[in-house]
Amino acid sequence: MKPRRLAELAVLTAVALIIFIIELQIPNPFPIPGVKLGLANIITVYAVYHYRAYETAMMVAVRLLLGSIFSGNIAALLYSASGSVCCLLGMLLLRKIIDERHLWLASVFGAVLHNTGQMLAAVAVTQTAQLFAYYPFLLVSGCLAGAFTGLCAQFIVPRLKKIKPKTK
Amino acid sequence: MKKSKTTLLIVAAAVIFLAGITGSLFVLFAPKQSAVNIIQDGKTLMTLRLSEEKDRTFVLPYGDSSNTIEIKDGRIRVKDAQCPDKTCVHTGWLSSSAMPIVCLPNHLVISFADSEGEVDAVAE
Repeated sequence: MKPRRLAELAVLTAVALIIFIIELQIPNPFPIPGVKLGLANIITVYAVYHYRAYETAMMVAVRLLLGSIFSGNIAALLYSASGSVCCLLGMLLLRKIIDERHLWLASVFGAVLHNTGQMLAAVAVTQTAQLFAYYPFLLVSGCLAGAFTGLCAQFIVPRLKKIKPKTK
Repeated sequence: MKKSKTTLLIVAAAVIFLAGITGSLFVLFAPKQSAVNIIQDGKTLMTLRLSEEKDRTFVLPYGDSSNTIEIKDGRIRVKDAQCPDKTCVHTGWLSSSAMPIVCLPNHLVISFADSEGEVDAVAE
């Protein structure tokens, strides 16, 4: 990997981490496990459409690991990791179908898949199927949060194009 | 070709969203029941009949962590928890049979017991 590319990935990961930590400071008004805006995924959505699959996966992995260490909530790593795996696999497939002008749509599916992965992990860990009662709420919040982060990413794309020299 | 697929996916997303809203309403308006299960790691620790329980507070330890559970006026809630997110505390009193109180870090679930078991017992 070229040093320039590596640096870009590192900067994006750092930005995602900063967003993640700032979001932690915002109190969550919904007392439902797994409901979250997930602002750091603005970067993930952007990366899915602008970097190769393994590069995006590396970024997300580093962010998850460092994020759980910084937030002190290592128990949550399992849930967020399984969510992210589902989300990434789905989005990497979807990017072949959905063009970049519909980034928000890809993001909605990513968010819903993320919540699905989380849900399955939570049910597997606690061995309690009653948890599925939260799934409808997660679907609604996933659609809204996914659309929001996706739109944010869509607004960022043209701005980043201006400062980023063409390489590929 | 590509455009029609996108439209299809937008419709799919809308269906997911509506299904989520319908499901949420269903869960929110599910009726209360009198028996409550406290489940940890998939095992039912205790079953309580809330209407017959005295007001009390007790601590459920889990490794280094714990949850403080309060029963008052025939209702149950997690009063305090030693976990980072405290989602279970914020959930408040258990109010819907379809939506349990959950503490993911401590693998704890408090939910109304299935009424099916009771119906079966009556039928026999």
